[in-house]
Amino acid sequence: MLQAGVLKIAGIIVLFAIALALPAIAPDPATTNIAVFTMMYVGLATAWNIMGGYTGYISLGHAGFFGFGSYTLGLLLAHLGVAAGYTPFLLVPVAGLATAVLALGIGWFALRTRAATFVIVTIAFMFMLQLLAENLVGLTGGGGGLGFPVPPWSGDYFNTPYYYAMLALATLALGISWRIRRSKFGLGLLAIRDDEDKALAVGVPTRAFKLTAFVVSAALVGMIGAVYGYYVTYIYPQFVVDPLIGISMVLMVFLGGLGTLSGPVLGALILEPAQLWLAYNYGASRLYLVLYAAVFLAVILVLPRGIVPSLTVLIERRRMRTPPAAPAPQQAVMP
Amino acid sequence: MTLVLEAAVLGVLTGGVYALMASGLTLIFGVMRIINVGHGALVVLGAYLSFAASRSLGMDPFVTLVITMPVMFVLGLVLQSVFIRPLKTDREALSVLVTYALALGIEGLLGYFFTANYVQLKAWYDTASFPIGDFRVTYVYVFGFLLCLAILGVMFLVLYHTTFGASIRATMLNRTAAQLIGIDVDRVSAVAFGIGMATAAAGGVVFGITTAFNPGSHYDLISRLLTIIVLGGLGSLRGAIVAALIMLVSEDITAVVISPVWASFVFFVILVLVLLFRPQGLYGVRVRERI
Amino acid sequence: MRRRLMAAAVAASGLVAAACGGSTTPTAPAAPITIGVSVSQTGDFSGDGKALIQGYDLWAQDENAKGGLLGHKITMKYVDDASSTQQVVTNYQNLITLDKVALVFGPFSSLLTIPASTVVARYNYAFPEPAGGGPHVFDRGLTNIFFVQPAAVEDNLVSYAQWLLSLPADQRPASAAYATQDDPFTQPQVDKAKSLLEAGGIKTAYYKVYPAETTDFTPIALQVANSKADAVILGTQLPDAVAFAKTFIQQQFNPKTIIETTGPDQGADYSGKLGANTEGIMVPAGWTADATAYGNDKFVSAFIAKYGGTSADISADAAEAYSVGQVVDEAATKAGSIDNAKLITTLHSGTYQTVQGPMSFDATGKPQGGVGVYIEQWQGGKAIFVYPASVAAAKPEYPKNTWK
Repeated sequence: MLQAGVLKIAGIIVLFAIALALPAIAPDPATTNIAVFTMMYVGLATAWNIMGGYTGYISLGHAGFFGFGSYTLGLLLAHLGVAAGYTPFLLVPVAGLATAVLALGIGWFALRTRAATFVIVTIAFMFMLQLLAENLVGLTGGGGGLGFPVPPWSGDYFNTPYYYAMLALATLALGISWRIRRSKFGLGLLAIRDDEDKALAVGVPTRAFKLTAFVVSAALVGMIGAVYGYYVTYIYPQFVVDPLIGISMVLMVFLGGLGTLSGPVLGALILEPAQLWLAYNYGASRLYLVLYAAVFLAVILVLPRGIVPSLTVLIERRRMRTPPAAPAPQQAVMP
Repeated sequence: MTLVLEAAVLGVLTGGVYALMASGLTLIFGVMRIINVGHGALVVLGAYLSFAASRSLGMDPFVTLVITMPVMFVLGLVLQSVFIRPLKTDREALSVLVTYALALGIEGLLGYFFTANYVQLKAWYDTASFPIGDFRVTYVYVFGFLLCLAILGVMFLVLYHTTFGASIRATMLNRTAAQLIGIDVDRVSAVAFGIGMATAAAGGVVFGITTAFNPGSHYDLISRLLTIIVLGGLGSLRGAIVAALIMLVSEDITAVVISPVWASFVFFVILVLVLLFRPQGLYGVRVRERI
Repeated sequence: MRRRLMAAAVAASGLVAAACGGSTTPTAPAAPITIGVSVSQTGDFSGDGKALIQGYDLWAQDENAKGGLLGHKITMKYVDDASSTQQVVTNYQNLITLDKVALVFGPFSSLLTIPASTVVARYNYAFPEPAGGGPHVFDRGLTNIFFVQPAAVEDNLVSYAQWLLSLPADQRPASAAYATQDDPFTQPQVDKAKSLLEAGGIKTAYYKVYPAETTDFTPIALQVANSKADAVILGTQLPDAVAFAKTFIQQQFNPKTIIETTGPDQGADYSGKLGANTEGIMVPAGWTADATAYGNDKFVSAFIAKYGGTSADISADAAEAYSVGQVVDEAATKAGSIDNAKLITTLHSGTYQTVQGPMSFDATGKPQGGVGVYIEQWQGGKAIFVYPASVAAAKPEYPKNTWK
């Protein structure tokens, strides 16, 4: 058991080191571009998991928060006249705060509903945000879009700061997610997922807990959206409050394993580079959508709990099958 | 004033189409407790099937239903058995993903065979109209509306006046109890999904005649359909119809009186307001259920 | 495949080095090059994407028949951007740094051109583009963009406004109705036309801006019909252009004149949906199949030879894409090289002949002092220029005939 724990920590350190050194190992912009979007989804999936995975409340409207964060940063930069460069990154937490406030309002309302209704209500709120972005032309530029200041960095270097920003946010999301899991708050969330009424009966403050998870999840997504807007330099309502982004992050969590820590990361690491690569090489034939859907369906039907839990179960079963090695008295392996 | 009246009439006519599409969706939810986010794509598929049939066989779009409805029904049986039935755990959440994957697959295939150009079902009478008072009403809208009424009427007849309909309703009320009294819930589910697909085919024809569409059109459709069934109450057929009419009439009147810009916004505002006071929707039932 | 591209890249850079060294056009056949384009092959802009590819491919074919671009045989590489920002940004980065294409051409729409242009500028590539002309394209402070169309987008309806105001007072429309998408391409044109016509005494009976994401245009079309305006000016793309016309037919609303900003210029994609009812509908256009601009007759016949159909089926997008190629060919010949930096400098001065007429670009890449955009009208199943008289193939049909 101790060996497994040490291996795990060593593995995490190695992965993190690789992630940190990536721009040095593979500095070509095509790779770092994919890295930026991939790290973005690692963060998004982990953040979404805090709500969807721990409480079991599936939100399909998180793209609304993504877009809101994007627009907030863009408007801040425009109105404060901030120059392009490293400074805008410092304003990202402000976008996160604003998104948190928005999520408080939406969550107060949406969390009055349960299960299937909740899913659809989140979708409704997402479309409302998109419509507002589209129609409040004086504020957001409407269909004409909103521009971000463009840093004067060279083509070879440009992607690197954004990559580190995304890495930082992804690490933050993972850190928060890990911390929640080990806390009473996290226990409460899992209780809500298992049986909300019993949790309520036992004394878990379900409403406050659900709202907190929702707000935290939304704030992280908002900050990631802000960095995204700054990276693509120009945003439009329909591309930044985009249902596809919302559903992609959900897909990744389900693929990797709902409610686990490494699941969302794995899901993002598999799906995002695959999606970008497939679209680049097969978009023309329009069959890439079919390929994507096929892979998807295969995974869901074969590994319905996601990769990480299924692998864990597989490893556990193998371990149970091999008899204890040492003759010294061993504890019976509990299933 | 005439304009408002005209918008209201338009709202009722298009509301009928959405009612038809939403009824299939809510039936599927009621029987299987799954959210079929691929329903929009199925409607578009129905529209394309009619498009292909009318183009190659020279049939009137409405007549193609004779072919497309049975085809879609059988397709529904197949899809349900292959993709939905295997889902045992985490049903609601996984069903969202599976049906979304199906929608993507359908979109990809349609794009491959028909390209992404916008098309529209054509009938020789599709611009003909007749006057009512000061304004004119288009024939195709009326035909579509009558078709929806007919199909919805048949659905009600089946649900409330046949034994099979009774088993569907029983499954909707309580799946386990239905199983206990001997109803083959798997068969009921498959047939319900088939019915949902058939109604999607019909909805597809009316949708396809009145609006230009391409494989990507399903996103808009599904967001509105989902909002409608939640407003009406998940699983309630009556609710879906009432909700569709309310939504479309309000939207069209808003477009004309205030601005088209806020018309779709009104859609969602109504949903939010109703849910504030009745979280289960207009005709829904408050159930204690596990998430 | 990759090896061949690598070889091409090495050869191309070798040539560039040689060109920078001051030598003139190479005498031996030069290495083949790849030109990369991100095109909307799926998503909202896919119909236009297809037409762009037709134009680019035809140009590449014609160039190769002449021996290539400065002797370099061309291979076009298209990647799909699914009409999305994320993908277009990825695509141009991949094309430039991974596939190491020698040149890039622009995608469809101002929407996608703006984020793409920032990426392309980072690598100091020239960015000649056929379809991004909205005002924001040019206010980003970039110098590598070249919008290959005869006039800046907001001036597209100026010819039409001039024509209406030139009509004798008793024939002139008394009122006008305006409806436009909030798209960066359609709205500026309509707004400018509105201010010109209002200044000329034509009352505004109705004005509405609607979201580009609208799917049901009937309520808006009903309101336009209800305004009973004499002139109807619509800022549309293809789907809404068709939808508005259909509603007008259903409502039997017959204004004296109708003009749509896009749609009627898309050849068969438009006429296929309206049949005989295209009669009399106008569209601002810099190009028609019958125009006598540079190389146009050859373009039209080559197009029909390659893709079939008739000249009325050709979409203006294809002509715009072809023009991009023509401009690059002429600039490269003038500069004696296909090096991007040289192309950028060269393109900022001089006039270039295309199937859309002569054009030149100002410091930000906007077309300047140009030919302007004319009125094209459907008459007898063909779209022809009708104004101004210097290019007109027939007189404008006014008032528009009633719907069939």
